[in-house]
Amino acid sequence: MDLFSNLLMGLSTALELNNLLFCLIGVVIGTAIGVLPGIGPIPTVALLLPFTFGLPPPSAMIMLAGIFYGAQYGGSTTAILVNVPGETSSVVTCIDGHEMAKQGRAGTALAIAAIASFFAGTMATIVIAALSVPLSILALKFTAVEYFSLLVLGLIAAVVLAHGSVAKSLAMVLLGLLLGLVGIDVSSGVARMTFGIAALSDGLDFVPIAMGLFGLGEIIANLERAAERRVVGQSIRSLIPSRADLRAAFPAIVRGTALGSVLGVLPGGGAALPPFSSYALEKKVARDPSRFGKGAIEGVAGPEAANNAGAQTSFIPLLTLGIPANALMALMIGALMMQGIQPGPQIMTEQPKLVWGVIASMWVGNLMLLVINLPLIGLWVSMLKIPYRLLFPAIVLFCCIGTYGIANSLFNVWLMMGCALIGYFFIKIGVEPAPLLLGLVLGPQLEENFRRAMLIADGDFTVFLSRPISAVILGVVAILLLAMLSPEIVRTRKEALAE
Amino acid sequence: MTRFRIDLQDLLFGLFLVAIAAGTLVATRNLTVGHAADMGPGYMPRVVALTLMGFGLFFTGRGLWHARRGIAAVQVRPLLAILASVGVFALTAERLGLAIASVVTVILASFATREGRLVETVAFAVLLAGAAVLLFVKLLGLPIPIWPR
Repeated sequence: MDLFSNLLMGLSTALELNNLLFCLIGVVIGTAIGVLPGIGPIPTVALLLPFTFGLPPPSAMIMLAGIFYGAQYGGSTTAILVNVPGETSSVVTCIDGHEMAKQGRAGTALAIAAIASFFAGTMATIVIAALSVPLSILALKFTAVEYFSLLVLGLIAAVVLAHGSVAKSLAMVLLGLLLGLVGIDVSSGVARMTFGIAALSDGLDFVPIAMGLFGLGEIIANLERAAERRVVGQSIRSLIPSRADLRAAFPAIVRGTALGSVLGVLPGGGAALPPFSSYALEKKVARDPSRFGKGAIEGVAGPEAANNAGAQTSFIPLLTLGIPANALMALMIGALMMQGIQPGPQIMTEQPKLVWGVIASMWVGNLMLLVINLPLIGLWVSMLKIPYRLLFPAIVLFCCIGTYGIANSLFNVWLMMGCALIGYFFIKIGVEPAPLLLGLVLGPQLEENFRRAMLIADGDFTVFLSRPISAVILGVVAILLLAMLSPEIVRTRKEALAE
Repeated sequence: MTRFRIDLQDLLFGLFLVAIAAGTLVATRNLTVGHAADMGPGYMPRVVALTLMGFGLFFTGRGLWHARRGIAAVQVRPLLAILASVGVFALTAERLGLAIASVVTVILASFATREGRLVETVAFAVLLAGAAVLLFVKLLGLPIPIWPR
């Protein structure tokens, strides 16, 4: 069987000693930032990118992926114990998880969350492995025309399915595209929008932009709110859930995993959508919905499973098609390009060790998370006692050093400063910066494929509609955009995405 | 939030986009545009900038038309402190070395809140600077001077 030999190859890559080490580093860092509110996975991955240069590509990707799903684990710990969601994805876990903790069942809630996450992680790994082969075969039929349409679909779907106003997000994507055009034009060698600054001729680095917009802008906005963080002392009595608990939680875990796996693949799904949908589903199928909000174990198990499954299946479009599902995956694409690997449909055939190694490492990483989370829970909780007034200067410093480190350029530090200001401005006017990052990373590819497609078709725009695969993809784009014009769907979307 | 006669959020975003689009059109005015079959370097920037201009005008118009919300008051202290600390890092890192730059950056950033206590902040800054030097220069091999040259 092809699938199994692929998975075995991946496993042998993931189990190499140094890759195991990087996986461990990734999930530990991920858990830590998941526990700490105020710093998310996006600035962290951006921060660590420069230091993955020297690593072989599989090790680098394994570590960065570990940060992402590790953060989902860590986020639920604080949600249950102190009612503070470490990440947006664990907001739902607060509702019933913290209620359980208040009733003295913190240990059970934590254990169920971990078990649900592990189960979902395992299943999602299998889903990724099973789906990647047919998808990559399909992808090999793609020319510049189809790839351009696919990039458009990725961008549009990410906008439609994510938070915030669609029109504003579209504008942000365009803004990102524009920033991506800065630098020397590849085909003519002419400098564009560099304003005579030599550092700009290679284009804008996305790391300072990501750190400024997501890391520093967020810190400034956080500091404006009166910071009040209670740390609740919680004694954890028993980590082992009872049989009745397990029996109640298991169906919810399965449903959450299925839901999360599907939603994760969709662009824009990423981390926020699956847990919310799963919570709503559990409440709907429950015999007694009134238990929810009062410590229902299904309300922890389902969303936690959905959360982790979604986090992992969001790698599918990235690994098979080279299309990022969310801003974090866009950073991963950037990491690949820095390693000299062109993301795209060919990646599976050209870099099988990398792709399958990363997939298998997710399962290994989930096992590690189970071990480092349950016994070491006390350690993570004590991290919460670090006051924010000490935390944020440290983040600022590390952002500065990390940004400098990408190209040893002070220009990037200035660029980050500018982006911090713009990021703060975006938060003030209520605009999501994530689409900008997607546009920025995909911009150069979009332009290249567009120009190549136009060259093939001799400037005939109808080529995008006369090729069947491309026409179907663009048809989906049109349906998505038209759907946004229908007031009924807009209303349902608002409700579904409302926090 | 207070009720405004204009939607400040939309208006500001719209004006921001118009400014960026206009800037792009000026900056790329000398680039060859070409045509669809043989695009010059100026083709894509101009297409994107013009679309962005459209969005900008739309939001500006919507902001002026609707009466909805303003924006929460800007607090100067955290904004200036964080921006200044990044700026100071950029100014000092290569000249004075990572150790001194780190201490100054952390202390300046701490001014963003009133909660900080000076002794604690300074001690923490020195500690962090030591950790940063160890981690980034010694362990990860970042080519940056540690002390003033």
